[in-house]
Amino acid sequence: MATPEQSLITDEHRATIGKKSEPTKAVVKEIDAHRMRDILEDRDPRYADETGIAPAYILAGFGGRPNRNMMPGILPGGLLTQQEWRFTRPFKIGEELTSISQVVDIRERLGGRYGYSVLITTANDFYDADGNHVAGSMITITQFDPKGAAREE
Amino acid sequence: MSQRYFEDVNVNDELEPVEKLPTADMAIDFFGRDNPTNPAFADAEAGKRMGVGGALVPGILKMAWLTQFVSDWAGTEGTVRNLRVAFRRPDVAGNPLVLSGRVVDKRQDDGKNVVELEVVTLAGGEPSVRGNVQVELPSRG
Repeated sequence: MATPEQSLITDEHRATIGKKSEPTKAVVKEIDAHRMRDILEDRDPRYADETGIAPAYILAGFGGRPNRNMMPGILPGGLLTQQEWRFTRPFKIGEELTSISQVVDIRERLGGRYGYSVLITTANDFYDADGNHVAGSMITITQFDPKGAAREE
Repeated sequence: MSQRYFEDVNVNDELEPVEKLPTADMAIDFFGRDNPTNPAFADAEAGKRMGVGGALVPGILKMAWLTQFVSDWAGTEGTVRNLRVAFRRPDVAGNPLVLSGRVVDKRQDDGKNVVELEVVTLAGGEPSVRGNVQVELPSRG
């Protein structure tokens, strides 16, 4: 879409930055760990059946996706454009983690493939029963107007 | 899987490339068939309506492959600490991807041996995902 005269990012949107979500629970399930391992044909002995350790990429199953409830909808289209995973320690199968999400940044981009777009970055951190950090995920979604993007291409 | 040691790693070392063939079934099975996912992961027509040209390969499946790629390179005493990627182009199921990587830095960080790598997924020779990975390696000493 063409660049609007005024920013589409409102004070209400900005006010969401830094607000932490209510904690939610995520369980490191054996069935997920082994299914993902097997699909990837991962033969790392650390993730063998009897070890009780889940591969790091199990984060994809419960924390690797955008928390859309946290994310202001400013433009109708959305694409995952950047993502980060951080691992503080291995995941243990069966452990229950507490997840807390927050919006960490909202910014505009002028021009580019999608025309005027808004980049929203959210973070999702996971803590064990003792409150220690286990892993985190950060996701940037580029919001754009698909009609406007099509016109400009 | 052989063990990699910090002392043996040099900047500009290249990882042996690995080829992966993503399929629509693989994408759905990775998340679990009972879990909701983007319809375009399983349905080539949905992907075509998005302008992708076929069933879309999930970005986080590619992240999982990159994590495994670097973890295998590091060996069982190595630990992937961080993976940061930018999704440059969508990938379509049925088209092979080549995972490639290169060491760009090695340093001591709080007494830990940290190696940083640039990684990429190549589709038809063109990068579709670019990323940086930090991995901790053991010392021979």
